[in-house]
Amino acid sequence: MKVVVSQDNTGAVRRVPMGLASRQALIAYIFLFPAFIYFTVFFFVPIVIEFWSSLHSDDTGNAFVWFDNYVKAFEDQRSINSFVLTLVFAISVTILSMVFGLFLALLLNQSFRGRTILRTILLIPYMTSAVIVGLMWRNILDPLVGILNKVLIAVGLPTQDWLSNYKEALWALVGITVWQAMGYNMVLFLAGLQGIPTLYQEAAKIDGANAWGRFRHITIPLLAPTTLFVSIISVISSLQAFAQAFIITNGGPAESTRFYVFHVFNVAFSEGKFAYASALTFLMFLAILVLTFIQLRVNRNGVEY
Amino acid sequence: MSDQKSPVNSDAADQTAETLSLQKSLTRRTLLKIGGTIATAAVAAPILAACGDATATTAPASTTAPAAGATTAAGAATTAAGSATTAAGASNASSSSGGGTLLVYWGTGHNYKSYEAVRNQFEKDFPGWKIQWELYQQADMHTKLLANYAAGNVPDLVEEPGGWIPEFGLQDKILPLTSYIQKDGKAMGFPDDWQPFTVNRLTLNGVVYGVQLHLTNILLFYNKDMLSKAGFQNPPTNWDEFLTVAKATTQGSTFGFALNQDSSYAWPWFLQNGAHWYDPDKKILVMDSPEAIEAMQFQADLIYKSKVAPIPVAAVSYEGPQKLFSAKRAAMILTGPWDLKPIKDGSPDINLGIGQALTRKTQSTSAAGTSMFIPKGAKNADMAWEFMKRVTALDVELATTKEANMTMPRITWGQNADVQSNPTIAGFAKGLSYAKDASSELGLTGKLTQIQPLYNKMYQDVIYKNTPASDALKEFVTNGNKILAGQ
Repeated sequence: MKVVVSQDNTGAVRRVPMGLASRQALIAYIFLFPAFIYFTVFFFVPIVIEFWSSLHSDDTGNAFVWFDNYVKAFEDQRSINSFVLTLVFAISVTILSMVFGLFLALLLNQSFRGRTILRTILLIPYMTSAVIVGLMWRNILDPLVGILNKVLIAVGLPTQDWLSNYKEALWALVGITVWQAMGYNMVLFLAGLQGIPTLYQEAAKIDGANAWGRFRHITIPLLAPTTLFVSIISVISSLQAFAQAFIITNGGPAESTRFYVFHVFNVAFSEGKFAYASALTFLMFLAILVLTFIQLRVNRNGVEY
Repeated sequence: MSDQKSPVNSDAADQTAETLSLQKSLTRRTLLKIGGTIATAAVAAPILAACGDATATTAPASTTAPAAGATTAAGAATTAAGSATTAAGASNASSSSGGGTLLVYWGTGHNYKSYEAVRNQFEKDFPGWKIQWELYQQADMHTKLLANYAAGNVPDLVEEPGGWIPEFGLQDKILPLTSYIQKDGKAMGFPDDWQPFTVNRLTLNGVVYGVQLHLTNILLFYNKDMLSKAGFQNPPTNWDEFLTVAKATTQGSTFGFALNQDSSYAWPWFLQNGAHWYDPDKKILVMDSPEAIEAMQFQADLIYKSKVAPIPVAAVSYEGPQKLFSAKRAAMILTGPWDLKPIKDGSPDINLGIGQALTRKTQSTSAAGTSMFIPKGAKNADMAWEFMKRVTALDVELATTKEANMTMPRITWGQNADVQSNPTIAGFAKGLSYAKDASSELGLTGKLTQIQPLYNKMYQDVIYKNTPASDALKEFVTNGNKILAGQ
């Protein structure tokens, strides 16, 4: 490809070949262009518009109010409560789904008959629509007519108010989300485990390290990049949890499962306060950014084994 | 050096190489060009199409419309809503000539055969016209409608569950029906044949913005067999009797009563005790009155003190008590005619009794029901009105009652022999004589949708957390009054 024209010291014009790197970059940019347009139109521009909206009032006239909506968010106890409980939910789901995911990955990394079928079965919850999962668990956990309490009665155990006790409902949703997410985490950890060279394990074995020692000092550190990825993805998706509250509990009982995104949705579409909802959304965006940054910083040292 | 070229040979070789390279690169470039063009076109097409739509929709209305439409359509369902509505609001309503599509948003639970017959007749009477009948859950419809308003692309007709007409009407987002009523009101019997309060609740500053479609109320449903087994041949008529019956019918996992998680079901208790949302003279909430506190605490005590009702299950729907009642695990529930069909279909062996509303200070219950309005900016407002006239005709009301036991707002409906000869429906018709629309006065402030979530929170705090009703109601009133004061 000849795309550059230059003059040599004799004054003759000649085409100078573009460097390989430049050519590759040009081609890359050409192919990236449609995606860039897509992201600009459907992501970046709406984010800017949303930020602009958040600087206006929801009252008639939509006056420009600078950061009043942001100040209001920090004074709004309902918004703070929903953020705190979402944070509790996100941390719980992240930790539990990682622990269970890693446990399953270690189990299914062993060689035995039927492990492929088991891996597939464990991934089914993740592949199932959140709506279907929600409806299914609502019917299972209904304290009055649900299946689970009937089973508990049948085996002589006390029933639980899964979805009507404000202290239990959040944990019921944590359990459902962990059940749904752990299969995906298992697949990621499996990939990570299979990427660890066996020679480290063998060398440690020869040196007399027991199973726990090998897991603690070889597997865990070498899984750090996978762990980092899983934790970031899990925290982000948990902070954006919506379907569970929308379908199973409607944010109740007594707003104990009013997740932040569900709260924002209601502020916007039930109360009609779009500007305030925009500010709340932007604050969540910043919170996710900060949390992701913290995770990257915390895990940076761990990766360098 | 063997690989060192002479200048001449080198130039020739370069030219050859360049030619080859050019041919090769041309091919690649051409491919890139084609690929890039296709990709760009693919990305740009929907955007251009969207712009085209917005322009086509709003251009006849105003020269500034495309800009407003484009701004809001870009995703800012926000502050531009007003301008988009104004722009779209100027669009012309079509007449019956020429044909078109009438876009109607309707409640999922109200998709009756009687209305299907009206639609079919409408399409037959107006050749070329089609009705696009979109069914939504009420909350989803509100979401959709807000987005529609923001985008300046509204439906022609909306069935709303109550409270939306003041909400949108005060924002100048609903078409006043004045000219239509002047033209057709007498012939269709509007407003004279409608229960007066159903007209008042849809009237803002003397202008009518909607027409009531259904008019329902909440009464006491009871299982005759369960009450009879406990020694009661008649349903309770006041709170004391109610508590006695509830205690007597509570056994093991069977409860005397089932409260609803939906806070609107608390209103019969408030009204019976003389409590009200709002004082229109002082323009403040008055739900911290002793009457309101007593009514709210009475409901919580059914769960925590008397233990005659279970804690309701937190859910999206209001069906929980009906399911318990159908499963014969609740002897009494408070509900409306919408639960008749599920109970009769699901548990035909239940010996269902329907009692009148209880009395405390007064006999009362809450009236509810849907109404219809034409959003400002509807493209086919004339045809929407035509459909409204047909769907509210007395014969359609009677057919709907026969099909689904739905109760209606026409006075002549209540006087009809078919209605009066049906004991179940006649009970609801009687209930309408003392039922009240609890939210009508507050609704007229246009702040009901902002205050409603606070009310829901208060209700759930009391029902689920056993928070003292006095504390929860005081907090609700304090926060609600801030909204009313515009703080």
